[in-house]
Amino acid sequence: MGTARQIVVSVSGLTKAYGATSVLKGVDFSVDRGEVHALLGGNGAGKSTMIRIITGSAAKDAGDIVFHSPSGELRTEAEGRRKIAVVHQELALLPHLTVAENIALPYFANGAALFNRKRAAGQAYDALAMIDREFAATSLQRLIGDLSLHEGQMVEIARALASGAELILLDEPTANLTAQETDRLFTVLRRLTRESGLSVVFVSHRMKEIRQIANVCTIIRDGRTVVDRAATASLTDADIIEKMGQTATAHVSERAAVPTRRALDGEPLIIKENGFRLELRPGTILGVAGAPAGPSTLIATLVGAARSRRWTVSHASWPDSFSSPRQAARLGSGFITGDRSHKGILHSLPIIDNVLASRRVVRGSKVTGVHEQTECLDLMQALKVKAASIWNLPNTLSGGTQQKLLLARWLGLPSRLLVLEEPTRGVDIGTKREIYHLIRQMAASGTVIVWWSTENAELLEVCDRVMAFDTEGRCAGVIENEDLSEDRLAELTGMAA
Amino acid sequence: MTQNTTQASADTKQATFEIQHRESIIGSYRTEIAIAIAIIVLALAVGSQVPQALSWGNFANITQAGAPLIIMSLGVLLVVITGGIDLSVGSVFSLTGMVTAQAMAHGFGGFEASLIGLSVGLLFGSINGFLVTIAGLAPFVVTLITFAVAGSLAFIVTNGRSMPIGDPDFWLLNSGSLVPGMPNYILFCIVLLVVIELFLKKIVAGRWFYAVGSSAQAARLLGIPVKRTTFLAYVASSLLASFSGLLTISYILNAESTAGSSLMLQAIAAVVIGGASLLGGTGTAVGAVLGALMITVIQNGVNLIGINSFWQGSVTGVAILIAVLIDRFSKSRRGAG
Repeated sequence: MGTARQIVVSVSGLTKAYGATSVLKGVDFSVDRGEVHALLGGNGAGKSTMIRIITGSAAKDAGDIVFHSPSGELRTEAEGRRKIAVVHQELALLPHLTVAENIALPYFANGAALFNRKRAAGQAYDALAMIDREFAATSLQRLIGDLSLHEGQMVEIARALASGAELILLDEPTANLTAQETDRLFTVLRRLTRESGLSVVFVSHRMKEIRQIANVCTIIRDGRTVVDRAATASLTDADIIEKMGQTATAHVSERAAVPTRRALDGEPLIIKENGFRLELRPGTILGVAGAPAGPSTLIATLVGAARSRRWTVSHASWPDSFSSPRQAARLGSGFITGDRSHKGILHSLPIIDNVLASRRVVRGSKVTGVHEQTECLDLMQALKVKAASIWNLPNTLSGGTQQKLLLARWLGLPSRLLVLEEPTRGVDIGTKREIYHLIRQMAASGTVIVWWSTENAELLEVCDRVMAFDTEGRCAGVIENEDLSEDRLAELTGMAA
Repeated sequence: MTQNTTQASADTKQATFEIQHRESIIGSYRTEIAIAIAIIVLALAVGSQVPQALSWGNFANITQAGAPLIIMSLGVLLVVITGGIDLSVGSVFSLTGMVTAQAMAHGFGGFEASLIGLSVGLLFGSINGFLVTIAGLAPFVVTLITFAVAGSLAFIVTNGRSMPIGDPDFWLLNSGSLVPGMPNYILFCIVLLVVIELFLKKIVAGRWFYAVGSSAQAARLLGIPVKRTTFLAYVASSLLASFSGLLTISYILNAESTAGSSLMLQAIAAVVIGGASLLGGTGTAVGAVLGALMITVIQNGVNLIGINSFWQGSVTGVAILIAVLIDRFSKSRRGAG
């Protein structure tokens, strides 16, 4: 960077406290025009809070935020914020409105104006087609409420792209995307940053993606900036993890270190789809890869959320099909949803009720006893959840920490099957390793694990076998042992790795 | 990219719009068509018992008796779309009637008295809107409070006595004809229906109503003025309830403190029959009007057939149940207009 920097926004000495907890303790952060800037940090480091303050949806306690126009002039905060678009971690979508309206409505600023549906559809199409032309061509008039999580994520990103913003803040945008969609998103971002000088702030815990897309990174730790604007290439993965404050040993692969990787004795779990039969011995970790359509029907059957004509799941002690998730849970089929905000966290109940929800169902508890508090604290300690009190509401915790609450629900329960949808979504690298370890321990105690992830690298690391679905939602095959590789997975799922 | 491919992609794009757009227009009134059919079937069923039910005279009866409910339902609909509820409309209706009649008794002309009456709606709508948006109280609680307050004020105005209308020309508001050949009560219903339906569908602020009801949190993040929209919904609801009160006293030529007490539940029922969800985000003006018509047709039929009028509530209840069950089990999810 020989020439003078063209700063879009710079933040210095930002502080913020929620009650007694101080989240930001003096953060510095700045973004240049035309760069993709990775914002890194562990769960609860303060990334989301800083983003909220920059966009004006939270108030700062102290510090400065300065916005500049492309020509370098100072801007007022209101003016600067108009040129920012955000993709939030928890999607901001309107379920009863159409895809087109969800993308275009925010850009009809004048309430008294005519709402031109054609123009809205045109805007929406142009934005969506940048990521997925086919989706754009077929889905403009679909209701958001009928879309899957990953389709919703695309709509959300398209909205940001359509805004004509000069700065886009993406808070874990790829968490719900398939590898192929992520690829297309990156291509679009690269083009826009190069051609129209768009700046992108990118929050992700996926090291590979960070290296693919971001040229600059800032690392935040415990509410302070520890690395300010370093070139991503100048830091090794180990450096980054260490700066984020994760334990240095955590990133060493533990594949070999886990005690029992042999399948255990006991009644197997059998998954059947016309002609296809898969036998899972206790202790198996089965990965599920591919576009969401296929895995979601399988998972719905496994956890009793819906009956399916395609899939049958049998086990010696189970009925032919579950009548409800409650029955499934009580017969030892556990489930951790990938849609944390809508189907996972009980937002109006305190942490303790969130943590113990599944245990109460499985045990059929009628009374909530005092011993539960110790149990909750033990679980939180096992998962290293930091919370001021177990009586706080979950929204006082960061997204990644909320994910841990969901995991805690099934942790240590002697279940026969545990189905996980994107269990490491939104959690930092250190926590990810902890989760891998905990899940392996559960498998070692005889639980069959079904692990759906859109991150192939993760499946390869954790799973004994991986079941791949193609883009049509059909099972394309099961790979195991030496066959397990990114290339083979990409081939079967029909998606670039 | 060559000129050709650009042109081709623009064409396919245009084509997909046309198709997607057409589908949405056909599908968007499915519920309303079903209710309209149900109303016709109901009317024919009553007509098979009592032939005069299908006369023009009875048709005029139904619309005249139903007009206040139709207008009130349109107001309640606006609040329900935003995910709120307005329990105060019946009390505002009664209070408006009492205040207007009292104003005329104090020498105001019909027009001035009507404005005074409408200011009751404006006042209570603003109070509801203020308490829901600025104070952040639950709509149910807020409007329960104003329901109680406005309801008791309706008694206080005349100390509970009913009040005859002073202005001899006041009947013209309801039964006169601003447009030749069409009584005003029908004109008002049609104008309000068209204006509100077009507002909800075609105007940006109308789409905001659905956005707020769909997810207030998301709408706020998107920069949609959630508070302003919500406030507007409550003011509109109260104003329409007020207007509906004026129309009623102009028809009966007498104001009573309890005139609107049964209307609030009927208006909510009409909105629900019309396909709106009490959770917000759905509903159309056409649906609400048809819902109100259906309730009126049922009441009228119960009267004509000679069933003890105490049964009206039960029959209406069953009708609501059927409407909601049909909506629940007709597979297609309904969008926001």
